[in-house]
Amino acid sequence: MSVGSPYDVVVIGGGITGAGVARDLSLRGLSVLLLEKGDYGAGTTGASSWMIHGGPRYLEFDWDTTRLSCQDAGHIVSIARNLVYRVVFVIPVLAHDKNNIERMETAMEVYDRFQPLKKSHPHRRLTAQEALQVEPGLAPDLVGAVTMEEWGVDPHRLVFANIQDAVAHGASAFNHTRVTELIRDAGKVIGVRYQGPDGATAEARAKVVVNASGPWSPEVAAMAGARVELRPAKGIHIVYPHRISNFSISAESVDGRDLLMVSHAGFTLLGTTDDDFYGDLDSVDVVEDEVEYLLQAFERVFPAIRDYRPARTTTGVRPTLFKWRRYEDELSRRYAVLDHAGEGADGLISIVGGKLSMYRLMAEETSDAVCQKLGHRAPCETARRPLPGNESEVTPPGELAARCGIPALAAMKLQSRQGSNAEKVLDEGATSRILCRCEPVTEAELVYAARHEQVRSLADAFRRVGVAAGPCAGAACILRSAEVIGRELGWSAEQRFDAARDFVRRSWLGRAPVLGRSGWAQEELAQGALRGLMVADGTR
Amino acid sequence: MGRADSLAKLAFAYGVHLTRRRLARPRPQVRALLETNAADGIRALTADERARHPRLTTCINCGLCALAAGRVGKTRLPDLASSYMRLYARLGEVSGDVEGEGPDLVAAAAVCPVGVPLAEVAEVVRRISRS
Repeated sequence: MSVGSPYDVVVIGGGITGAGVARDLSLRGLSVLLLEKGDYGAGTTGASSWMIHGGPRYLEFDWDTTRLSCQDAGHIVSIARNLVYRVVFVIPVLAHDKNNIERMETAMEVYDRFQPLKKSHPHRRLTAQEALQVEPGLAPDLVGAVTMEEWGVDPHRLVFANIQDAVAHGASAFNHTRVTELIRDAGKVIGVRYQGPDGATAEARAKVVVNASGPWSPEVAAMAGARVELRPAKGIHIVYPHRISNFSISAESVDGRDLLMVSHAGFTLLGTTDDDFYGDLDSVDVVEDEVEYLLQAFERVFPAIRDYRPARTTTGVRPTLFKWRRYEDELSRRYAVLDHAGEGADGLISIVGGKLSMYRLMAEETSDAVCQKLGHRAPCETARRPLPGNESEVTPPGELAARCGIPALAAMKLQSRQGSNAEKVLDEGATSRILCRCEPVTEAELVYAARHEQVRSLADAFRRVGVAAGPCAGAACILRSAEVIGRELGWSAEQRFDAARDFVRRSWLGRAPVLGRSGWAQEELAQGALRGLMVADGTR
Repeated sequence: MGRADSLAKLAFAYGVHLTRRRLARPRPQVRALLETNAADGIRALTADERARHPRLTTCINCGLCALAAGRVGKTRLPDLASSYMRLYARLGEVSGDVEGEGPDLVAAAAVCPVGVPLAEVAEVVRRISRS
């Protein structure tokens, strides 16, 4: 077992909160080590609705959460401009909805007070005819509609941009590295033992350990005999590999919950469910009933929804703060910074609860608590310092495309991930070949990701650059991607093949619950392309 | 306390809203909505395109159409359906990709195993990218 030099802080968890904490602390001049047991953002963060939103829903419960959320969303929009885009909702109101059009507009009028905090426009009220004009797919019997603006974001890139900046300011960060033990000495947590991707174990000493492991927080805290109480809630989304409506749309579920169909850049997320979860956090499956629950709600307002072929589902578990009796949807999305000193675990701080839109603020408050513990005086800078790729204006996509010999669409997509670093990324691979044509992703970007972005598997590549995220679900690109990553990481031919097969198998788990009749037919065609991968041992 | 306070404030806002609605005449909002969001490249499908849209988005990028025909402008035919048709917002920024000569799209569509109407796809993508 190796023991490195001590750090000021070890952060456990590489979701958006852990990444935000690592960035904040390293910008304040502390030495930081971040450890993530899977890949960055692969848990709750990646399974979110991909939105930086202000939470108009919370107006019913707690206006302060909405205000804080909008305020922090405004900061995130400023520091991560290349990663965010406007998401405009049309909220149709039907005759028997729980909120009539006047109540709905009232809520939007109140929400308008907070919208400037996140640089969003105020709402509009549309007649039924106007709503159908801008969104012809809506049910014709609607009473009217109101609009609302939020921001979309690629959470995987947002996490990684935070990691990149933390590393640029002296932090160390490792994915696929699991903390196996918290080291304690006389009632104080003094470090961690961890196991890397190669199975080797190591030890890192630190003055403070931050537990930012989301729904896994109780498990991590228990390693030090401390207690974190959560009420984990499972949420699923259906992913369509296209933008299927002009605007994003909301719908009321059979039990009166607000559901969202969010039009992102080239795909649509439909969700989400919110159910108490008691199972294994490392194995959360989507069941067909959950899919049907979502489709049933959207069929009322967007009747053609069942004509579209979903690509897959996503699922995650929210680390909601514990509260007895409340209905899941009414649970607060507030967060808490817990110092476990009173439980005989001095030096361990947990950050729990919260939501993606408030990650920066959560990280700031956690970092404040860490700095107070260490007697370190340095102000938080994360609200004003741009994330990597946002330091300067991006080149127009057409110009970049002409210069680098790639389609303008590929240039635009690359900029949406890498911002002003796009050209540097293209220079890395010295090739303009398009590897994943649906997204599209260049070979150069994948080479860059393998060399500089800790891509260690095809699933990591999916998160980092969007390989296999399109309509073909990898049929056309996954073997080529395995070749490129394998070449960079020194995989044998067999390892490359196994990696592709493993990716196809895992992604199948998310696809099976949403394949309708045409979906199965198309799956058969895709199987043709993947025959070597899928039937090698008789399993899918 | 938080919830009671929130509901009371919403109730007050509701009263203000109803009063305002009685006093003010509603104005058409569509143009303002579209103008507000034009800068973000949010383009809309027409009602006809909307009705056909599920058929336009079934491409699985098998590549067979590329064997029957070549490119639309600079764009490989399968990419038109599998990547450009995915994204009908911001297509204006990449219009250069899809301008230029078009192949025999009827022949290309004839070999498509999932029946993507490629001529229609090309028409929609070009219309949106120009608008």
